[in-house]
This record gives sequence, structure tokens and C-alpha cells, in this order.
Amino acid sequence: MTDKPINGNGSDWPGAPVHTAENKRADVEALIGHVENGNVVAVGGGLSSREPMAIIRALIRKGVKDLNVVGSAHGIDIDLLCAGGAVSESSESYVGFEQDFGMAPNYRRACESGDVKVNDSCCYTVVQQLRATIMGLPFMPVRSIRGTSVFDMHPEYKTMTCPYTGEELTLVPAVQPDVAIIHAQYGDAHGNLRIEGPPVADILFAKASKKVIASVEEIVSNERLQELGGPNIPYFYVTALAEVPMGAHPTACYPFYAYDREHTKNYYDQAKQGAETFKSGYLDPFVLGCAGHEAYLEQIGGEDTARHLGSWKDGDEAWMSLYGGASA
Amino acid sequence: MSDQASLGETMIAAIARTIEDGTAAFHGFGSPLVQLALHVAKRTHAPDLVLVAGATYGINPNPPFLAPTSNDWVMDRGSEAALDIEELFDLAAAGRMDRMFLSGLQIDKWGSCNVTRLGANELKLKLPGGGGGCNLSCDVGAMTLWTAAHRAPANDQGKRRYRLVEKCDFITNLGHRTLDGRRPAELGHHGGGPDSLVTDLGVFDFDADGHMRLTSLYPDTSVDDVMENTQFEPKLADDIATIPLPDPEIVALIRRLDPMRIHERELQPGDRKRGFG
Repeated sequence: MTDKPINGNGSDWPGAPVHTAENKRADVEALIGHVENGNVVAVGGGLSSREPMAIIRALIRKGVKDLNVVGSAHGIDIDLLCAGGAVSESSESYVGFEQDFGMAPNYRRACESGDVKVNDSCCYTVVQQLRATIMGLPFMPVRSIRGTSVFDMHPEYKTMTCPYTGEELTLVPAVQPDVAIIHAQYGDAHGNLRIEGPPVADILFAKASKKVIASVEEIVSNERLQELGGPNIPYFYVTALAEVPMGAHPTACYPFYAYDREHTKNYYDQAKQGAETFKSGYLDPFVLGCAGHEAYLEQIGGEDTARHLGSWKDGDEAWMSLYGGASA
Repeated sequence: MSDQASLGETMIAAIARTIEDGTAAFHGFGSPLVQLALHVAKRTHAPDLVLVAGATYGINPNPPFLAPTSNDWVMDRGSEAALDIEELFDLAAAGRMDRMFLSGLQIDKWGSCNVTRLGANELKLKLPGGGGGCNLSCDVGAMTLWTAAHRAPANDQGKRRYRLVEKCDFITNLGHRTLDGRRPAELGHHGGGPDSLVTDLGVFDFDADGHMRLTSLYPDTSVDDVMENTQFEPKLADDIATIPLPDPEIVALIRRLDPMRIHERELQPGDRKRGFG
């Protein structure tokens, strides 16, 4: 890590373009054309929800390399990118499968082999770094971090004496991702996005990034989007979007479908057995061997799986049975 | 289950007792024992608790069952409001978050936690990372630490991988001392640091110096068990008490809140059979 902020206070400071095109509709292949090797990438969603998995699988198929991923709490998305050889640096706050499965095997292997530079962050640090960019400032102060090993890991963090109170504060540099990759429930052709449920850091990512590429479950009219409650990411942040039903699978995208824990368990079991087993048991059949998202949907069981994961709506018992039921 | 309470249920009740009424408390993701402790507290002695759920940032949710993952609409059901990610951390930075719950693969005698990496110099094991813990540990009013893996059995060579260590390889979440011995207050941090630790072997507080101190044991654990499984020598309270077992109503509440017994996945396999009463 150099002393320079991650792509923050660079020559094109300040700011990013506004994306004004009237029709942003694209397909997944066109979306991923916006991601270049070496980019700083903010992956939206969090843990087991609304991860932009269809876009991630497409990036791996394309052979994208050397991404620096930034964000808060992640799981299968970053783990899969690591397995696909797409990441060279991780500035995430967490990559794992919570207490359910535990550590993220591919991410761990990539970090421990040195393929991925470990540059762990922390949620509020990420928030402040994004807010700096959003506000057009080169840094933001925080009181925390000093005294932890996280501070020592980041030579780009500085301290200053507050000119008003005399207290020492930590400064964290602005982070401006090259691309934010987001999966939302709804969007319109202009690029307005509506996220339902917890937005995690997606709105901050959208405002701070130079480009936003998005997959959505449904592209609807702006009128319909207003009826649904209106966008929470305005169109001019968004570069392009594609309609990709089940585009977050195996993570959840409520109300359309719940988390596919069974698929994730299989993923984890394969990954835990080593890189070779994971390649033949998961990466080949579900990513590299699928020509595109349609082929992936076939591979996971098509309509039947979509219907099964949509059955959470049938009541608490049905919902719980997706996670093994009361006898699990 | 014929026992009055399982180990998991007793730990949940012990964590719940660290939560005060009329305060704001936040749990992170991947911590079902703590999630349940907050729900127990809110439904028993702390009805005016502001319960902020991890991952969803929902306030006072009423989940129909505990899901195996925290960022699930299940966990958000019935929330009366929700925070943005920035709002949650702003609250803590501004001194309005009274309590947070943290853990680690290493917890040292000052209550600092490592969830980042094993190996002080060479990376031996990359852990998932700390989420928001690094920032929050400096900012929140008080912290409850917990681990269900205090017991550190010796391997064939007689070597133990301690959970409670003399010194963390890496401090992700700050306790009462930095690696070079400074106190958080010297650094200008506003947080009060950890005031309790609940493990599978006992319950601890931290003395005036900030050092971990054993205060109570389970009916089936001893001071020797604690000493044997701890890399440093914890202080001992003058009177070591027995951890109170949860009332039957609280046990019933936990069983209703967590019908899939998700919280038992935090326990060591051998501990899932432990019960008291």
C-alpha cells in the first residue's frame, strides 16, 4: 500500500460524471464492459442478501483480474471472486459465512497464499471514506481506530490535532470506487433504482463511485416505480442496468426469493475441500461452464427452484423450512 | 431436553443480564447467542431497550424465528424503524450507543479481540475480519464480550490453541490496553471498553485496572478449568458465585424465539449436550 489514498485524491478530482442517457438498458455482457482490470470495485448487498451474483459470475467468465474490493460485510460474492482469480486486494471489513458455515474458504486461501493483499477495513471507516468522496473532500476524520492494529496496517491513515479542541483524531482518505456493482429489486429504463429492505452500503456506494452498474429483478416504468415507493438511487448515478431475474441467487432478493442456504452449503462444502475440488465441483458447473445467466438458471433447477425459494411468502412454517425447519 | 436449561440458554441469560433497561444496544452479525440475549432482555427486564439489529439495522424487530444468517428479512420482521449504515455508526461515534457485543478468535486479558489474522508477523490464518468492531470498540459506552470456545483442549503434542490469550497477534477491537500498553482514554477514545465476558466456562468482569477477572462459574466448571484453559492468569473475585440458571419462562422464550436452535451452532459440539438443573 502506498501512502496515497485508494484512487481518491487523484488527477480527475473532484467528482465523477453524471450519467444522463435516457435509456440505460443493457445486457449483463454490456454491463461488465464497464469493469476493467485493476479497478477499485464496491460490491453491493451484504452477507446473504442482494449480492450481484449474476454480474460476478459474468466477470469471472470474462477473466477480469486484479480488482481491489472495498466494502462492509460480505460472503459468497467476494469468496467467489477470489476463487475466480479476479481479486488482488481486499479492503473489505468482513468476508465469511457468519456462525452458520464460518470462514470463507476461497478468500482465506487467496489471502494466505499472497494472491490477495490483505487490507482489511472497518464499516465506519468505509462509510467515512465514501462520505468524503460524496462531499468532495479528500478525507474524513474519525476518533476511533487509533490504538488498534488496523491503524498500523494502513499507512494511508493519518492523525491530526483538532484545531478547535486539541484532541488527536484519525484521518481516513476519500475512497472513490471505479465501479459500484449493485443488485436491486426494481429499476426503470432511465436507471432509477429501488432497493427494498436494508440497503446496506449500496446508496453510499452509488453516490461515491464513478460508475454504477446494476442488475434488477424487474425493469418497470417510472410510474410503477413511484407506486412502489420511488427510487432510492436516482438515475444519474447509474451507468447501465440489466433485467436479471434471480440475479442475486444464491443470496436472497426479497420479496422475490429467499436465501438459498442449501445451494450455499454445497458451495461451502466444495470450497472447504480445496481449490481443485471447488473448481470441478462448483466453479466449472455453475460459473465457467454456464454460457450465461440463462444456463445458470437451468443448472440450479430453473422454475422449480425459483418457486421453492419464493415459498417464504406462504407463511412462517414454509419460510423456516427453507432453512431446514424446526427439526434442523 | 429434560434439564432446566442448556449451556446455550444459560449463556444467553448471562449475556442478557449485562443489558440495562432504557439504553441503546446493538448486536453484530453472526452472533445468535447475543441476538437472543437482546430479545430476552427486551421481553423481560429491559422493555425500554432500543434494540438495534445487526446487518439489517432494524429497530426493535420481532423475528418469527431466528434465521441462520443475520441479513435476512426474517430478522427484520416487525421492526418499528430502521437505520442506515451511516446512522448506526454515527450514533456510536456521537456517544449514543450504550452497548455492543464483540468476540474474537483471540481475546486478551485486557479484553482486546482479534478477528483479523493469526500470526503477528507472518500471516498464518486469515480470519473473516471485524465488520464494524474496530470503530465501535473505541466508541460505544460499554461492551459485553462473549465466546463459546473458551475451552482449549490440548492436542496430541499437548499444545493448546487458547481463545483467551496473554496477547493478541493483532488487535481488531480495542479493549483496555493497546498492544504497547496504552489505555484507550490516553488516546482520547470515548468508549468505556468491555465490562463483562461470558464464556462456556465462566463469567468475568474487568477490574479497575482493566484486567479480566473471574466472577462466576457454571455448576459444572471450576476455577481449575478456567486456569487450565486460559493462557494468562485471570484475577479472581473475592467470592466466586454460581451463574444463575435462567427461569423456566426465559428458557421457554428462548426455545420459542429459536425453534431451529441456530444458537447451538456457536457452541462446541461437546457442549451442545451440557445442561443444568
